[in-house]
Amino acid sequence: MALINVAAREIHCKIVYYGPGMCGKTTNLQYIHSQVPKDVKGDLLSIATETERTLFFDFLPLDLGKVRGFQTRFHLYTVPGQVLYERTRVAVLNGSDGVVFVADSNKNKMQENVNSLKELAQNVTRQNKKFAEFPIVIQYNKRDLPREVLASVQTMDHFLGVTKMSWPRVEAVATTGTGVFETLRAISRAVISKL
Amino acid sequence: MDPQLTSIIVPTEELGQIEECLVRLVEDTGSDYALLLDKSGQVICSKGDGDRQDITALGALIAGVFASSREVAKLLRERDFRASFQQGVRENIFIALIEEQWILCIIFNKGTHIGLVKVLTKKATDELASVLERVRQQHKARDEVLGSSFRTSMEDTIDLLFRD
Repeated sequence: MALINVAAREIHCKIVYYGPGMCGKTTNLQYIHSQVPKDVKGDLLSIATETERTLFFDFLPLDLGKVRGFQTRFHLYTVPGQVLYERTRVAVLNGSDGVVFVADSNKNKMQENVNSLKELAQNVTRQNKKFAEFPIVIQYNKRDLPREVLASVQTMDHFLGVTKMSWPRVEAVATTGTGVFETLRAISRAVISKL
Repeated sequence: MDPQLTSIIVPTEELGQIEECLVRLVEDTGSDYALLLDKSGQVICSKGDGDRQDITALGALIAGVFASSREVAKLLRERDFRASFQQGVRENIFIALIEEQWILCIIFNKGTHIGLVKVLTKKATDELASVLERVRQQHKARDEVLGSSFRTSMEDTIDLLFRD
């Protein structure tokens, strides 16, 4: 839920990166943090296990500066992807304005992608929001995988049912930054259009 | 709920009342800091000693803790945990929920008794609940803030800052 503080002239929006374990959600935030100018970003906060897996969330505040007199801030979060953290994902998703669904392009991960997207739909609906109208951008990550294990975009579209929805989708390699900002631009625009 | 109507708009007058309420709470309890957060972790207002630089991260973490405890409550078939208390060696934190939407957080040291914090926080949450009720009626004001020119400017800013 976006917050518009008229007296302080501030607008805050919350964007959550969702998806199965090891699909590259944290890598997206790390790349954004490494590239945006210092005056735009806050510290990247990660609550992770000793093995660097996300335990609760990663958090990156971005300050876009003044837009028409309003200080505009986007807060980016990731959820922990592992199956056992389902309730934690619900907690992080609470009050979000938009979601980037990061799908793993590995052929062997299709079922995990599908399960995660289904779970996202349930969780958004439980928050009394219409899933079909909720701002979502799909990112097909790891497009640099070897051809033997790389799922085609058509295959991923088919499995995830993306063609039925009007979601923007972006091909990405988060480790090198390919598609990371295209994804961020797409979700930011989608969120703003729904404010 | 229509996603188009999910923005919460805090007008100037209501923010003044919130500030007043937090200042009074800090003074009456002798606390260090009081924060009002939206459940999404965004800081609506903060009052207290000094200029904290970590407010944004604090807001995200406290809202995370509260959202997490809500899920624990569900597993225990409890409707909600309305309040939580975290005790440190020097600093303590008391957190209370306001109408499922806002979170009031008080940071205090061992010079302040938890009982006093609980009683005065209850009074403050009642007061803030009525402010929240008025804030919820503010949908019309959104169009005055977010006209089409705002969205166009916003898109230009996004394209400029988030370029490859």
